[in-house]
Formats: sequence, C-alpha cells, structure tokens
Amino acid sequence: MEIPYTVKERKDTGLYNAKLGIWLFLASEVMLFGALFSAYILLRVGATPGTWPHGLLNVPLGTLNTIVLIVSSVTVVMAWASLKMNQFGKWRMYQAATLVCALIFLVIKSFEYHDKLTHYEVVTKEGDKHHVYDGHLVQEDKDKVVLHPSAHRLYTARAIALGFGPEPAGAHAPADHGAKGHAEKEALVTIQRSTIEHMENYGPKHHPYLAIYFTLTGLHALHVIGGALVMAFFFGPGAKMWKTDPERFTNRIEISGLFWHFVDLVWIFLFPVLYLL
Amino acid sequence: MQYSHDTHNHTHEAHDHEEMGFWTKYVFSTDHKWIGIQYGITSLLFLLFGFVLMGLMRWQLAYPGTPIPVFGPILEKMLGSAAAGGVMSADLYNSFGAMHGTIMVFLGIVPLAFAAFGNYVVPLQIGAPDMTFPRLNMASYWLYFLGGVVMVISFFLPGGAAQSGWTSYSPLATIIPTQGQTWWLLGMVLLINSSLLGAVNFLATIIQLRAPGMTWMRLPFFVWAQFVTAFLLLLAFPPLEAAGVMQLMDKLFGCSFFLPTGLIISGKVADVSGGGSPLLWQHLFWFLAHPEVYVLILPAMGIVSEILCNNIRKPIWGYKSLVYSLFAIGFLSFIVWAHHMYMTGMGTAISTFFQTTTLIISIPSVIILTVFFITLWGGSIRFNTQMLFTLAFLVMFGIGGLTGLPLGFNFVDLFLHDSYYVIAHFHYIVAPGTIFALFAGVYYWFPKATGRYMCDFWGRVHFWCSLVFMNVVFFPMFTQGIAGMSRRMYDGGVNYSQAANKGLLGALPDSAIYSNVIISIGAWMLLLAQIPFIFNFFWSMRNGRKVESDNPWDATTLEWQTPTPPPHGNFAVEPTVYRGPYEYSVPGAVRDFIPQNEIDNKGKAKAPKS
Amino acid sequence: MSLKSFHIVFMLATLALSLFLTVWAYQEFARTQVTSYLAAAICAAVTSLAVLVYGRFFLKKLKHISYQ
Repeated sequence: MEIPYTVKERKDTGLYNAKLGIWLFLASEVMLFGALFSAYILLRVGATPGTWPHGLLNVPLGTLNTIVLIVSSVTVVMAWASLKMNQFGKWRMYQAATLVCALIFLVIKSFEYHDKLTHYEVVTKEGDKHHVYDGHLVQEDKDKVVLHPSAHRLYTARAIALGFGPEPAGAHAPADHGAKGHAEKEALVTIQRSTIEHMENYGPKHHPYLAIYFTLTGLHALHVIGGALVMAFFFGPGAKMWKTDPERFTNRIEISGLFWHFVDLVWIFLFPVLYLL
Repeated sequence: MQYSHDTHNHTHEAHDHEEMGFWTKYVFSTDHKWIGIQYGITSLLFLLFGFVLMGLMRWQLAYPGTPIPVFGPILEKMLGSAAAGGVMSADLYNSFGAMHGTIMVFLGIVPLAFAAFGNYVVPLQIGAPDMTFPRLNMASYWLYFLGGVVMVISFFLPGGAAQSGWTSYSPLATIIPTQGQTWWLLGMVLLINSSLLGAVNFLATIIQLRAPGMTWMRLPFFVWAQFVTAFLLLLAFPPLEAAGVMQLMDKLFGCSFFLPTGLIISGKVADVSGGGSPLLWQHLFWFLAHPEVYVLILPAMGIVSEILCNNIRKPIWGYKSLVYSLFAIGFLSFIVWAHHMYMTGMGTAISTFFQTTTLIISIPSVIILTVFFITLWGGSIRFNTQMLFTLAFLVMFGIGGLTGLPLGFNFVDLFLHDSYYVIAHFHYIVAPGTIFALFAGVYYWFPKATGRYMCDFWGRVHFWCSLVFMNVVFFPMFTQGIAGMSRRMYDGGVNYSQAANKGLLGALPDSAIYSNVIISIGAWMLLLAQIPFIFNFFWSMRNGRKVESDNPWDATTLEWQTPTPPPHGNFAVEPTVYRGPYEYSVPGAVRDFIPQNEIDNKGKAKAPKS
Repeated sequence: MSLKSFHIVFMLATLALSLFLTVWAYQEFARTQVTSYLAAAICAAVTSLAVLVYGRFFLKKLKHISYQ
C-alpha cells in the first residue's frame, strides 16, 4: 500500500495531505506569534506611563515594506493561478517577482536594523553631574564620540533615574535637556570618552520595546527567509517536477503560497502595532 | 491511487525493503513502525536516566550531606567539584531536580506515550499504509534525538545543567550563572519543533488516511486520544517556544522580557533595561504546561481503553461519552493554566475564574474513569500482565486525580502549594498512572512488533514490585506535604525539623523527616524492580514464546489484522471497515470478537491475511 | 481553504490596514498640522479603493479556480 491523497484530494475532507498539513502548521504559527503579541501587550501595559515610544520607527520605510509584501502576495497567488492555467512561462515570471520582493523586503529591513544599531544613548558624568545624550553615531575614536542627535528617543529606566525622563505634558522642560533637544537637533554633539559612564546602542537590550521589536521582526524575517528559500528551490531545481508531475508541482506552489500569505498577514499586523500605535 | 494494483505494489515494495541499506532501514528510516520503535527505545532510556537522577537525589534527601555510596566517586569523576567527595552539592541537586523533571516530561513520557505508541499503532489502527508525511516523521525523531543530546551535554558544561526547576521561572532562570539554562532553552526549542512536526503529522494522518469505512465514530479510542493530544501539542507548545525564544533573548542579548525594573542581584542593581514581567513567563509556560498534563495522560487513557476491552471481552460502556469527554478536556485544558499561579498575586478575580474552570475540567476526567470502571462490570477478566497494569492504572490514576481536587481550590492551595503534596499528586497521575499504562502498552503490542510474547512470569514480578514500591514512594509524600514539607529542599527539610528547631510551632515533625528514608529505599527498590522489565524486553525480542497467530489477544482493532510484524506499507490489501472498534461477545457471533474489517459475524475475515 | 480563499482573506486584511492607515494619518495631521500626513492619508484612502478594484479583477481572473 502506498500513501493516498498525496496529490488528489480526499473526497470527504476536500483536501490533499500537504494542504491539511500546512494549515495545521499555520495554526501552530498563529499560536506562536499570538504568544509574542500577547507578550507585547503585557510589556506595554506594564511600562512606566509615558515611556512607551511613539514614532521611533521610520513609518515611510515601514509602509514601503508593507507594500512590497502585499505585492509579493499578489505575485504568489498569480504564480499559482498561472500554473493552474498551464502557463509555465508566466509562472516563472511571477515566481521571480516574488523572490525579488522578498529580497527587497529583507534589504529594507536590514537598513532599519542598521539605523537602530547605530543609535546610541550615552550617559556622561562630569564631577557628580550626569548627562544623557542620545543620537546616531557619526564618528567614534579613542578619545571622543560624535553623535547626531535624533528627534525621537527612548526613555530608559537609567535615563529616567538620572532625571532625563519624558517631560510631563504642559510643564517646562528641564532647561538643560530641553535646550539640547531642540536647539541642537541639527548640530553634532561631541562627547569626550573620559566622561562616558555608559554607552549603549538601541539593540534589543536597550528597552523592552526594542526587545519585542527585534524579536517579532527577527522571527518574521526568519520566516521570510525560510519561505524565500523554499520558493527559490521551486524556481530553480524544484521546477523539474513540472515536467514529470505538474499537478503535484502546482500543489507545492500552492503550499508555499499559503505559507507566504501567512507570513505577509503577520506583517499586516506587525506594521500597525510596531510602527503606528 | 488504484487499489487494484496493491498486491503487485506490495511485492514490489517488499523487494525494495530488502534492498534498503542499514542506514536507511535502521537509522534514517521513514517507516512509521520503525520510527515508533526508535522513539520507544530512546524514550525508555531517557526514563531510566531521569529515574537514576532521582535515585541519586533521594540519597541526599534521606542522608543529607553524606557521600553517595558507589555512585558518589563516579559522579565526582564525571562532574568534578559539583560532587566533591562524592557528596551531592546544592547546585548539583538543583540541576538534577530540574533535569529530572525536564527529562521525564519532555524526553520520556511525551515521546513514549505520544510519539512512540502513536507512531506505531495509530496508522495500523486506522488502516493506513504509513504516516502522511514519512520524511517529516523522521525529521521529528531526529530533532527529538538532537534535543536529548543537547540536554545531556548540558550536564558537562561549566556550572552544570539548568538549575531552576523544570518550570525555569524567570528572573532566577535568566540570572543564574550557568550555561546550562541556555542549553536547556536550545534543547527545548528543538523538542518543541519535534513535537510540532509530530502533531501535524498525526492530525493529518488521522484526518486523511482513515481506511474506507473507518468513520469518526468507528475510531478506536486510542486514536481519538492521540488525536486530541496532537491538537493540544499543536496549539499549546508554540507559546512555550515563544517564551523560550524570549528567555534566550534575555540570556544571550541581555534583553529584559522577564526582568522587572530595579532588579537587584546579590545586592547590586542589575545592568538590565528592566521593564519586563516575570509573570509573563509563568503565563506562557503554564499555557503549555497545563495542556501538557493532558498530553501525558490522554494517550495513557487510550491505551487503557484498548487493553481493558480486549481483556474483559465486552464492548466499552459509553464510547461516545468517552469521546465527548476527551473533547471537553481538550478544550478546557487551555483555560485552566493559571491554577498553577494562585500564589503569584495575580488577583482574586482571576484566581476565582481559574478555580472554576479547574473544577469543571475534573468532570470529564471523572466521566472517563467512571466509564472504565463501569466497563469492568460483569466482564470475565483475563488477568495477563498488561491487564494487571491497566487495572492498577485505574486505581492509581484515581488517587492522583482525587488528590488533585483540593489543589484546585485556591484557599487550600495556599497551604499545599509547592509542598510534597503536589509532588505526590502529580506523580500518582504520571508515574503509577501514565507509566503503568505505558508498560501495559508495551506488554500488549510487543507481540505485534516482534512476533513474540514477553514473559508473563517476569511481567508479573515487574508489576507487583512496581505497584508496591510506587506506593511506598509516593504515598508518604502526601503526609509530608500536609505536614508542611516544601519541595525543592536540598536537605530533605532537616533545617526546618523539630529536632533542629526545638519548640518551634509548625516545624516539620520527625515522622516527615523519617519518611524521607522510607521513600528513598522505596525509590531504589523501584529502580531494581525495573530490571525484570529491561531483561524481559530485550530477552523476549529474540527468545520469547512465538505468537500462534497474527491476532494473539483475539482483538478487534485493525492493527491485529496485519501480518506480524507488519511489513513496509502495513496492509497487504487495503482494509475496509464495517463496524465499531470494540465488538466483543456479540450475541450470535461464532467467536467472542468481530474484527473491524469483518463483513459478517461468521468468523471469516473479509480481507485475506498476508 | 485554497490559496485563492486565503488571498481574499489577506486582501480583506490589507483593506482594513489601509483604512486604518487613512484614519491614523488623518489623526496625525489633525494633531500636528504636518501636510505630509495629509498626503499619506489621501494615499492610503486611494490604496483602499485600489484594493477593492484589484479584488474585482482577482475574482474575475480566478473564476474557475475552487475556493476549497
């Protein structure tokens, strides 16, 4: 006996095996991302009021990435439809377009990561006076660090403890910090190495928001990479199956498309949650 | 699929089978039966390993601070200063405790109950040629194996294996200075992925590959149990994976998912961003770990129902009640998790909610047990080894279940939480409960897998010794717990005893301390009592009494209608199912059982055998 | 559920997202009076319409493919 329903669907369930398998797998993926989303909610609800960041991420870039993923889901479904209509040439085109979209997404994402990883919070201590600087690293050498102050910053527990927390609404900003925050937005800040007490970039360690941001988007990016690898395989060596078993090959494209749609759908939720809200 | 060509295909495949090399046949096999056996043997070895860890810990509990005889010097040689002078250090005790739990649950019982028995039996019982995704099945086993290797290696790391309990509560688990915890998390991620693949495979197999005529209500109860179990694994494990990934981020990248603001470690404010939530870990952990309890017990119930009906020669009383109860348990098990967290200060309203759902979930569990007991009524019982284990399961599981009810009330839990009472309660469910059912399953299906019986005499020795010593081990723990003995204590409670605290109200009575010795001796005896089983298992593979037929127990389900042992592809001809799973002692039938694939009751199987 | 059905679900989610983006960008505009937010709101609204048009095209083009 051989395993039935590998290609044709079973009558009473209306599914072939792999389609059921991928849906079950996606159900578990829902739980995986669901748990991370619930972690996001708990961290956000538990944060010190006023310290959860808004507008830290680049919305135009995020929107562009969202559009890239939406386009890729269109090309994925069209690729499958082309095979269903027996148009192998069109399939190749659409499949290639999907792979290009995946690549663009990852490139944009890595630019965003780079932006966060070169963003520093520097705590200095001169005498017993502390100061907190915040901005992108421009230059770094043995005795000094040059930062380009950025419009958006995070309020870490360390900065809050030193009195550099969020300004209470309506109140006057602390003269020291407020002046720097606005007047020197464009100017560069040079900090002597010898005065630096603590220097940390906006990596996952810096703040729970960044931790969940990197974890969620990193896990999502891993899914994008995984899906892209599988689709690249179907585009390359895997495409031989079209000649021997076209129906099974079409099913494979559908399966990878279902996974890809799920990954895109996760992003549709990630984007507003991390960028907009 | 054209079944008319099956006979031809079968011979063709058999030919292929012979041509397969050693590696593809025995190591990287995709045959569900062989993968089941791989899972079975690996997980039995892990069970033994986990038990040995506990055997060593029991010395420390019974005779705190004294060198462990014989094994102490070996431990010192292997693990160095953690066992200096052959004495188990507190760190070593902690890591053995954490790894005992992890190994027993994730590397022992779940792989044995779900993956091993499920792999071997489910496709046979539903009349399928194999699992739906044989290669995923193989990947699942090897991920499990890799996870096991990672866990075992972690013992030899600097600082030793994970030390903060099998629950790995953060912040302790995050800040504890051992690499073992990181390896534990990596191992868990591997194990979780393994069981996800397994769960997808089981569900797809049961939904897609049922033979013609095998409708849902004709499924043997064992298949139903595995079906619900697979759903629990599929949906409950990913949150733990998420939690594991977050704790890994905490450990490797210094994040603060589970570390609160202002965390102080050994008198210094920790260099972390803070802002995390320790409760988050507990929620995510128990969201898995409570359904996990049912993952441990449901396959055991499935095995019990098969063996029960087979040995009392009558149908199960209330098959549908069983199935619906399973579904009720499966659903409710997702909304009871926080009853493990009454003491965390999450609030009385939430506690009350979880107390209510917890008590509701006991109803379907009691229904299942009641159905089994009523099924016994008026049966003519065959007392073979597997039946003895099954009957013991009913009683032992009953004790475990009933002692769990008080723990469900949060006002009682205030006193019993984290005490030996809790240990006794869940060990009664899992050790003499699930493990007895698993032993029963081994004795029951052994003839199908090997073509030989296991020795009945040594089986009985194994059973009676195990039954007696299981109770010697776990029953005194109830009294210890009620006396106030806390779990995870390195010295067995000596520091809190009346002897050490003269006149202190509420100090542990001498009887509780003395029980440690009795329990420890019981545990070592229990370890010895497994020798007949191990010997019997391996000896009977080659030298056991040969079976007289493909259906030595006169059973009705489809796995007994295959050749023994079943060849690659299982059935010579695809079976067609005509009746329910437990048609024993049907009035007017020639024999006292009618196999599921028999069209009439004249005693002739429709499908020719082999 | 076939890829076709899932694609429809996905497009509904996209529609919801673009509507949300419209509202969000308009609110930001009302708060900050920065015109690029207004432009974003208009773009998002146009995208919502575009998704609807695409949906019609999609349903027509894949008429013969099963939803199951």
